[in-house]
Amino acid sequence: MAIHLNRRTMLALAGAGAVSLATPLAAQDTALRLAFIPQENPEKLLGDIEAITGWLAEQIGVPVDGFVTVDHAAAVEALRNGDADISFMGALPFVLAEAEIGAVPLLSEVYRGAPSYTGRVFVRRDSGIETLADLRGKDIAFADPISESGYLYPLAEFVEAGLVAGPGDAEAFFGRVFFAGGYQQAMQAMAEGLVDAAGASQYADLLLTPQQQAEVAWIAESEPIPSHVVIARPGLDADLRSQFVNAMMRLNEAGNRDLLRYLYGPDGYVRADPAAYEGVRDMARRYGLLG
Amino acid sequence: MLLATLATALVLSGPVVATPAKEAPWLPEAAAYRLVLFLGNLAPLPWEDIETAWAEPHRNSEYPVGALAWLDRESDVDTDPLLDATTRQDRQAVFAEATRLIALRIEEELDRAFAADEPATAQRSVRTARELYRAFEDGIAAADPEAALRIGLAWLELNSSTGSAGVLGAGATARDREAMDAARDVISDYLAENYLIDAFSPRRTLNALPETAVLSGRAIDVPPSLPPGSDIFDQDPLPRLVLNFEEQGIDETDLPLVAYGDMLFDSAQIFGGPAQDLGIACSTCHNRSDINQRLFIPGASHQPGAIDVDGAFFNPIFNDRRDDPLDIPSLRGLRFTGPYGRDGRFASLRDFTRNVIVNEFAGDEPTPFMLDALVAYMLEFDFLPNSILTADGRLTEAAPEAAQRGEEIFNRPFAGLGDRSCASCHVPDANFLDRQAHDIGSVAPGYEGARAGALDTPTLLGTAYTAPYFHDGSLPTLASVVDWFDETKSLELTEAERADLTAYLETVGAADDPYEPFDDENTPFRLAFAELTTFASTLDTLLPRRDAEHILLLIDTVAADLAADASTMSNLAARPDVYALAERLAEVGAAVRAEDWEAAEASWDAFKSEADVIEERAF
Repeated sequence: MAIHLNRRTMLALAGAGAVSLATPLAAQDTALRLAFIPQENPEKLLGDIEAITGWLAEQIGVPVDGFVTVDHAAAVEALRNGDADISFMGALPFVLAEAEIGAVPLLSEVYRGAPSYTGRVFVRRDSGIETLADLRGKDIAFADPISESGYLYPLAEFVEAGLVAGPGDAEAFFGRVFFAGGYQQAMQAMAEGLVDAAGASQYADLLLTPQQQAEVAWIAESEPIPSHVVIARPGLDADLRSQFVNAMMRLNEAGNRDLLRYLYGPDGYVRADPAAYEGVRDMARRYGLLG
Repeated sequence: MLLATLATALVLSGPVVATPAKEAPWLPEAAAYRLVLFLGNLAPLPWEDIETAWAEPHRNSEYPVGALAWLDRESDVDTDPLLDATTRQDRQAVFAEATRLIALRIEEELDRAFAADEPATAQRSVRTARELYRAFEDGIAAADPEAALRIGLAWLELNSSTGSAGVLGAGATARDREAMDAARDVISDYLAENYLIDAFSPRRTLNALPETAVLSGRAIDVPPSLPPGSDIFDQDPLPRLVLNFEEQGIDETDLPLVAYGDMLFDSAQIFGGPAQDLGIACSTCHNRSDINQRLFIPGASHQPGAIDVDGAFFNPIFNDRRDDPLDIPSLRGLRFTGPYGRDGRFASLRDFTRNVIVNEFAGDEPTPFMLDALVAYMLEFDFLPNSILTADGRLTEAAPEAAQRGEEIFNRPFAGLGDRSCASCHVPDANFLDRQAHDIGSVAPGYEGARAGALDTPTLLGTAYTAPYFHDGSLPTLASVVDWFDETKSLELTEAERADLTAYLETVGAADDPYEPFDDENTPFRLAFAELTTFASTLDTLLPRRDAEHILLLIDTVAADLAADASTMSNLAARPDVYALAERLAEVGAAVRAEDWEAAEASWDAFKSEADVIEERAF
């Protein structure tokens, strides 16, 4: 099996096994397997997974297993190998998975009324930095090289502004370019003065303390980015797939909304529109991530 | 996933103001270490809690296992020296072993990052090491800001140079071994010099200061912090505040003394010591004049909603060295509930209030104006309306039958109560209290022969929402209170009678509308905005009086709170306007400090008109 098994994913898989065993009177032997990406504490995610997979199993009538992968790449690998049927994913890794293994988008997360968000370039308000051009020779922290709102889209703003010639050319404009490991780390690095700017999700300043939030501002905002997406491996049984989507859509109902907090906390889900990802595919091509 | 980490990712260091932010989860061993630093400064030292800190997950931990089990699973670091030091109750040794343990864990994770084949595995180890480093971070930042920056950059560098496998090969970046080595050297050298040492100099105060800084003999203040497991958020749902003047349709902005007292009730500035730095105010425990069922501070709280305000943490000189946390009492109907304090030790609310500020929370002596304002405000606290009760405390016909049967039992004399009834002390036509202290046997004597167990009769009004019960919160429900009296006073009630009496208490203790109603538009921020602008309105009185002292106290509280509370807005687009408004108020303060009263008044006028414009979008 291609997922690199380590202490923690082993544990996750063991835990998930217990979840599926505990699911009563399933109508079908084949379990639906869900891959989750750790966004925060993987230990907490295990508890969340137990709650949501239990509910989904009741709704769909088949056992539902959930497990935590080490990152997006491992989740895509799991879809390719058939170790996972469905995964929660960012838009950029999704378009890569779509191109490589034919992954299918099922559902998009909704935040504050829209299945999209933006990336922003944040600075400290007292830095005197007001435009992207002011960042010439300065240091910037992005979240991760495979991040749409935490790298590609904010960087594209510099390209649009004619400051960075293109992907791979960022070092020529900036002093240093760091990948901090996540939105929060990139924002902290900026707020604490380790770097001059951070490229991150439009909501990333909410990851700072209330006082820090008052001390930062954003100077550029990207075009809308499709929000995170729930995707399926191409060979997944069509009936099972549509039952899963129908069950997930019921999370939008008032009585079920509480369950959303076990799923990265969106405001709800809409059925995914494959055309909505054209901009991301484009961006991935421009950055040489897609052929 | 966009907002997934929002609730948990905040890393708090340094002083915070009135809007607490939820902390990022601590790794179990880092949490235990921070608890040891905190508990190790209490006197007497709670050794049992120190043991628990390592053995069990802290309160509200997101990790299901304690630090020892976690380390057993995740690490090869030897925990025996730490356990041995704990068994010996050797404070300095516990500090030394725990500090070394965290440093060793950082090194262990860094070793794993360097040895890992997969970039994702290496990244995770770097992240874990970075999270462990957080246990030392406030000490380094306080002692050596330059080193803190250097190490912060090293973590960034390490994360960037560890490389990424991309997705199915796309977007892969190579590992830069040289950069990794250089970054690691920065971190490991600092640890070796300051935290991974054989012998630490004796510590009077336990904190995460680097050894070299301690050896230098410089006086270094580490900003106070609360340990993992602490919770100073307001309770949810938020109690509804019933103010007498407001119910009569009088506007608080027309009552400047009351409005100033309202501000002080929400101000951490009137306290000193750690309470001020941590943003703890009267309202932190008494949410909206009532209680805070979730408040918890390790070592000071024995359970949520309780706190020992004369322990070692808030004001060491007032430490009574008795582990006697009290369940937070409601302040509703305060003008009817004197004398004050659980045992009625203060006849005067003013004396009680001064004691809270100066002794319990280490504040400076309040001015007469401040005490007048606080008392004026608190005397407006009314009980929650309860339409099932008549004005003289009798049940109306709308009350459930069981409660009506319970009312008879409540008024029935019992031999076990000295031929008195429940109603003898909880007098229905006197707000269900008698303003007397009685020893009902609920307090364990402090020493043999002690006659110190008499406590003030508490009201029963509003008690349906203030569980748990008794001075120490030892009884979880009103039913358990009934059972307690039945057993200890030999009331010999039948099961049905106990249920009826409980139904009566629940009916008397109920309210028509106990909680603040919030919706999409009427948000907690809108409430905060309305409050803060009301507080500021006292400037209309204070500016003409040229009362610089009280103006600055107000502005230091309100400007900071306004900016901090903006982080809770759902209307994110309007946040910059609120920040600008907070700055406008700070300008008033700056002008007053410069004794430029004309400028102060101009800024205040600008504040008022800008606040009016923003008001609609303040949600």
